[in-house]
Amino acid sequence: MNSPSPTPTRSFRRKLLFLGGLLLLWPLLRFLIHKVPKKPQIIEVSGTFQNKIFLAKQDFIVFQEDEQLWAVSRNCTHLGCRLNYIEKEKYLECPCHQSRFSRQGEVIRGPAAKPLPRYLVERTDTPSTYLVTMS
Amino acid sequence: MIAVKRITTFLATLRWGDWSLISLYVSLISGVVVGIHYSPAEPYYSASALDILVPYGSFFRSLHFYSSQFFFLFGVAHFLAVFNKSQSYSSKAYIYLIICFPCILMLLFTGYVLRADATGYSAGMIAEHILEAIPLFGPALNNILFSISTHGMDRVYLHHVISFDLLFLFLAWDHLRRYRVMLTDHLLFISLLLLFSLLVAAPIDPDQLGLLYITGPWFFLGLQELLRYLSPFVAGVLVPASLVTALVFLRQNHRWYRALLIFLCCWLGCYLILTMLALTAHG
Repeated sequence: MNSPSPTPTRSFRRKLLFLGGLLLLWPLLRFLIHKVPKKPQIIEVSGTFQNKIFLAKQDFIVFQEDEQLWAVSRNCTHLGCRLNYIEKEKYLECPCHQSRFSRQGEVIRGPAAKPLPRYLVERTDTPSTYLVTMS
Repeated sequence: MIAVKRITTFLATLRWGDWSLISLYVSLISGVVVGIHYSPAEPYYSASALDILVPYGSFFRSLHFYSSQFFFLFGVAHFLAVFNKSQSYSSKAYIYLIICFPCILMLLFTGYVLRADATGYSAGMIAEHILEAIPLFGPALNNILFSISTHGMDRVYLHHVISFDLLFLFLAWDHLRRYRVMLTDHLLFISLLLLFSLLVAAPIDPDQLGLLYITGPWFFLGLQELLRYLSPFVAGVLVPASLVTALVFLRQNHRWYRALLIFLCCWLGCYLILTMLALTAHG
């Protein structure tokens, strides 16, 4: 038995529903694409610098030189793998594709093209404790 | 020549499909068991605790890991063995089954990522960057599928335990409905699978700083090498998509059948070379 053909009103409503769904695609796409910006994080880290040069944490490495302190991200700007500091060679290297970065975060060797984000580091009143501002 | 033909005929008669399906059953059951102690909020801790602290945790993790690997490998062998028969399938049914393969690979891949050791974390971050590189829809796709840097393992876990499984069942439903396999007919295979998992531990990297060379999951190695030379969009999206597209159109009555077959052989040959390079050239 054939199903009855839709009435003109129903057919119109179906088209309206389809168009409404289509119109919703844009706000849905914008909603899904949007990234809420991360609020700046101030992280307290403590520990002793290895060979008075670097202090490696999960997301960044803090360096000190001539009383100056700074930190660079440990996420490779190529594809996001976690970088290691090669102390002997004085550079950071990616374990996935071997991109290299200087201690200041500049690219020494690709495939990474962008420098590493740098973070502000401040000393606190407590010895061997520092505040790293990740923005 | 006769010997090669005999071996090929023998291989084609093996019950790859049955073994693949049995491996899937074991993978699903062991996945539920492993999931009892796994927490996406503490992925590495809970995965390593399974190996070290939970009684028989190492065995169940191995069982889940290897049964999943065997499910994919036997599935591929089954596809090769029954390729001629699959030509009688309708285009829709055939395409559904072909798309099962990337779906299974995504299940394996998310499993790798979820253990969140150095290899898993890096593989996840690479996948995230690849998705982000897709023009227009990339960020949305990453937000839905991975987004590890913002949401940790939450989404990867969701898709590993629900979304990709549902997608696989939807794609393979008709096929699985038609071919039933009884566990009782494969007691020897199940015993071997259990024994293998008891003897061979599933991989997990130790928690240490300074791993200098990370190789991803075995099926990801060629892609990892290719990402060294090409942009993430080309290496991570277009190249794998070309393989799936070629497989979708690989029907014996297709006028480009021979050309597609040559393309697939070249693709797989190149991928093998890239995998060997990833394993040997940079360690």
